[in-house]
Amino acid sequence: MPKLKHGFKIDPAKCEGRMYCMRTCPTHAIRVKDGKALLIPELCIDCGSCLQACPSKAISPTTITLSELDRYKFKVAVATPALYTQFGLNDTPAMVAHALLDLGFDAVWEYAADIELVDRAITHCVKKWPGPFPLISDSCPVIVRLIQVSYPSMIENIIPIEVPREIAGRELKRRYSQEKGLKPEEIAAIYITPCQAKSISILQPAEESKSYLDGAVAISEIYNDILYRLRKETKKVSGDTQEGLMDSGELFHWGNPEGEFPNLSPENFLPLTGLADIIKIFNDIERGRLTNIEFLECHACRGGCNGGNLTVENLYVARSKDLRLKAKMPKPPLEFEQEVARRFTTEDFSLRGSVKPRGLAKDMGDLRERVMRRKRAEDILKGLPLLNCGLCGAPSCKDHADDVAQDRTEISDCVFLSKARIDQLRKIYKKGPRAARP
Amino acid sequence: MSGELMREEFPVQGRNFDKAGEVSSEIKVILKDLGIDAACLRRVVIVAFEAEMNVVMYADRGTVTLVLTDSDINLEVKDEGPGIPDIELAMQEGYSTASDEMREMGFGFGMGLSNMKKNADEFKLESEVGKGTSVFARIMLNAHA
Repeated sequence: MPKLKHGFKIDPAKCEGRMYCMRTCPTHAIRVKDGKALLIPELCIDCGSCLQACPSKAISPTTITLSELDRYKFKVAVATPALYTQFGLNDTPAMVAHALLDLGFDAVWEYAADIELVDRAITHCVKKWPGPFPLISDSCPVIVRLIQVSYPSMIENIIPIEVPREIAGRELKRRYSQEKGLKPEEIAAIYITPCQAKSISILQPAEESKSYLDGAVAISEIYNDILYRLRKETKKVSGDTQEGLMDSGELFHWGNPEGEFPNLSPENFLPLTGLADIIKIFNDIERGRLTNIEFLECHACRGGCNGGNLTVENLYVARSKDLRLKAKMPKPPLEFEQEVARRFTTEDFSLRGSVKPRGLAKDMGDLRERVMRRKRAEDILKGLPLLNCGLCGAPSCKDHADDVAQDRTEISDCVFLSKARIDQLRKIYKKGPRAARP
Repeated sequence: MSGELMREEFPVQGRNFDKAGEVSSEIKVILKDLGIDAACLRRVVIVAFEAEMNVVMYADRGTVTLVLTDSDINLEVKDEGPGIPDIELAMQEGYSTASDEMREMGFGFGMGLSNMKKNADEFKLESEVGKGTSVFARIMLNAHA
């Protein structure tokens, strides 16, 4: 397996070892040893919970900046629908798109057709699917990675359909290389992203293929630049339309999970947001329940992509803007319908490559060794206090026992078993009576 | 089976729908922890869940025993329940003796036993009316494990 890349980095110089990240990580992928947070790469699902939790601002997303795009001849922005919910109620999607052009993009991709196409491909797939049910959406990279790490038996439930942003990347390269006489590699397809997970899904797709997109720029990275342009140039651009960009309000919304698949009846379709709730539902699915549901649309962030951790506006304000944009959405023009119908028959929407369970360190060795290791971990756990204080540097006593059984750490890192550990912690954190002494 | 690696017994409390599914969840956690291959895990968990539900629905109490060997996973489920008078009939898809209450809770569609059989490589059911029922299911581990 190639080395796993992740959507963020921990800066050891800034990390103060305060364990907020370790305690919040849903897959228990972080340990804090010697006062510094460390990542167990194969367990990390790129959810970004740690980014928000860190009180020292030591964790930052690995998105790119606009200046890195200069090497391309033609730069196209593929903006998440969540971008359009970030600004004032009177800032239309067309105005935001103009601000993107002013920022240096050569075009802003009209995403609605790609979303509609994938919507149809999903409906089609669900209707023909022989099982297992429910099918699970793959548009949120965190969900795909969660299944790879924690629910390997549900890999087959991931819908084998490409996500709209990839279809957009493929189509825009085809279109602009034809129109502008450029090679596909001279065109940059840049996703404006609400989270770091999508940037990592571009860098290293879970299905082990190559992304059609060339990188992701965070909403938070360009928010101020866009806002400035919206306020400065509102009068000049309103009502104006750009070639290849539809009028304001006609952009279909993918950021909000509700009502996206009108072709599936509501009783067979569940939209879910928020990792904690999704984990509960996945536990049910794993024991064979919920098979009467055909399709689960899952977004790890609460409130869907509008609540992404690289967005700026608060989720509820963004959602209200989203509802307003939807209410204003006119019926799509005939050309749009024709375009979608034409592309649906000529393009392939099936997922390239396949998603596999992630190999974990604890799965190494033959079954006998693994059983022995598990028994060892159980015995070790009996000697631990079960308080999950975290002072050993693992999020729970069980994790500490597993780490010891896997020879990843020493059992004496538990403060209940070793006085020296407390002295060591006082030294590292420079707190407590001994540390205060000269 | 000479190479028995692990044996664990879990009690199941009958008629307790609130706790139903906990044993199969526990089995899932254990097997996942051991890195059992995904397809195999899926089958074991489905069989364990159906078996556990049958105990919860019909019996006062029962046990689920998980036995792991080098080559397979075995589930032995024993209950002190009413027993099954006609096993052949009970194995038919859609045949159910579940009460309306159970159905309202989303159980008892008559797919349990047939679903277990479908997901097991070997399946045996023994029952004595008035005493109880024993189910035995074997799921082979894939060659690489």
